[in-house]
Amino acid sequence: MSTFIEAWQMVLAPDVLMAILLSAIYGLVVGSLPGLSATMATALLVPVTFYLSPIAAIATIITASAMAIFSCDIPGCLLRIPGTPASAAYTDEAYAMTRKGQPELALGICLWFSALGGVFGTLSLIIMAPLLAEFALSFSTFEYFWLAFLGLMCATVVARSSPVKAIAAMLLGLLIACVGIENPAGTPRFTFGMTDLLGGIEVIPALVGCFAVAEVMRAMSVPEPPQLARRKFGSILAGQWKLTKEYPKQQARGNIVGIIIGVLPGAGADMAAWVSYAMAKRFSKTPEKFGTGHPEGLIEAGASNNASLASGWVPSLLFGIPGDTITAIAIGVLYMKGLNPGPTLFTEKASSMYALYIIFMLGNIIMIPLGIIMIRLATFILRAKRYMIMPVIVLLCAVGSFATGNNLFLVITVAAFGCIGYLMEKNGFPVAALVLGIVMGSMVEQHFITSLIKSDGSLLPFFARPVSAILAAITIGLMVWPLAVWLYKKRPQATAAAA
Amino acid sequence: MHIPNRATGIGIAVLGAAAAYGGSLLPPVPGQQVGPNVFPMVIGIGLVLCGIAIAIGIGKSFEEPEEVVASEDGAHVPADAVPPVAHGALKTLVPPLLLLFYAFTVDHLGFIPTAAVMVATTCFALGGTWRSALVLALCAPPAVHLIFAKLLRVPLPPGLLPMPW
Repeated sequence: MSTFIEAWQMVLAPDVLMAILLSAIYGLVVGSLPGLSATMATALLVPVTFYLSPIAAIATIITASAMAIFSCDIPGCLLRIPGTPASAAYTDEAYAMTRKGQPELALGICLWFSALGGVFGTLSLIIMAPLLAEFALSFSTFEYFWLAFLGLMCATVVARSSPVKAIAAMLLGLLIACVGIENPAGTPRFTFGMTDLLGGIEVIPALVGCFAVAEVMRAMSVPEPPQLARRKFGSILAGQWKLTKEYPKQQARGNIVGIIIGVLPGAGADMAAWVSYAMAKRFSKTPEKFGTGHPEGLIEAGASNNASLASGWVPSLLFGIPGDTITAIAIGVLYMKGLNPGPTLFTEKASSMYALYIIFMLGNIIMIPLGIIMIRLATFILRAKRYMIMPVIVLLCAVGSFATGNNLFLVITVAAFGCIGYLMEKNGFPVAALVLGIVMGSMVEQHFITSLIKSDGSLLPFFARPVSAILAAITIGLMVWPLAVWLYKKRPQATAAAA
Repeated sequence: MHIPNRATGIGIAVLGAAAAYGGSLLPPVPGQQVGPNVFPMVIGIGLVLCGIAIAIGIGKSFEEPEEVVASEDGAHVPADAVPPVAHGALKTLVPPLLLLFYAFTVDHLGFIPTAAVMVATTCFALGGTWRSALVLALCAPPAVHLIFAKLLRVPLPPGLLPMPW
């Protein structure tokens, strides 16, 4: 109980409350702007968290990401431009409701069920994380290696592009993580004699480059999206309680699917929303109404993506394996603030964990009033010209990356990763897989090398323990399935050619 | 800038081979079978395999064409079907070049003038008028300076135009 009270004292500190409020407003505004994703909003915040207390820093990331995930639904609903891949799953449905003259109902569903999904996700985090922590204490480096590798493989499956390209992007990320002396032997690798590379490639400038600079580069070559017509909204929450009572199954299923997908390492809100929308349609009594502005799919997918956001913290906190790109950023912040992820975090830093749960709850509760204000202001914010926003983002990229290490080489790193991210995206390579590779590279290598040293160079012990064998089977299965699909598709062609 | 799959595949395979070769040259740890060379070699081999797979078209069936929103009714069209922005390819290079400009000149010019040039150039490149570029160049750098230098204590170089705070 004293730990719980201590956690409340941590959260109620003025700097933490201020951080929650300001990051909530920031997340809502940035998320609502077309082209600025939740990941980009979170990545740009990291340099600021350097200067905050540990709890305030975590609060900033949690609140901003939760708000931005909801807020990304706004341009999707009003302009059919999804702010994030997670909201892309139900953008057409929400936009169809807007065209039917029900934008407030669509936005209300996104807000209300996102907040409820977030609360359920947090409850799952509170219940599951300590239980899994006890189980995880028995894991050896073999399990950790497979778990981390599985996380990376899941990220390649989730990407809506060629899985081979996704695996290549992930391997490229792992190769980038090899640079520097942070390896089990402390030998400089791929530094080409440059002292700036001895410490390795910093994750935050790489993230900022891939997500923010690449987006500005993309904006330079595509026409400005169409502008939103001025409109006045009716009551946002009217009818939501009725929908909650009308669709309890869909809501519960969305929450559960979101929680399960969030817990999977490497699979986050994007996958949760797509799977839930597909499930809602599959199990609906009126599937023909989907795509015409029907609330069912919107409820299930909206609840699912926010539920997965909270449960995505389970693998991040327990194993240091990110659930998605946002938790990948959060892990960097956790390490920076001395809250190193691992099962012992729940015993050694219990009060900080309780504080984290409380922040999640607070974030999802204040999402409702702040979200309503945001929806009402959306007409003005969505009219902001791209040429007034993007220049400030370029400046923030430069200053923010410099602030992470007071080193101008980091600004050059941002520029380089901007180009890499842009080129990859243009050619169908998922940038998220690259980023996860960079974030998890040193961890995967550490567990891989330690396991190899323990096994005297033999690969058999990697499959000897039951949990590691199961994890290995899933991982290898995910690795070879694109090849299997390719061979399967080739077969009829070969048969036809022979005939 | 779209590069054919065959070219990207070969490029990745070459990069993987270089990584594996570079890794194999790393000195081993005395008395141990496994050293810092193993991981880059494994990744290098993986990249070579992926490069070959991309070059011969494995996984191509999963790819979807890039789409953009082209009109006010939210209709999505393939990115290739949209009329290109004038000098789009050149403009794409503006953000990374401006970041390099910042890295190499901020110590000499100072934060405010460098930031003003960056902001104004990006604004112009995105189709802003000289008036909006001027307003942004006058307002954004001092605001960012105030937040980062004053509140967060980031040592931004004063250069030619030190701020009063």
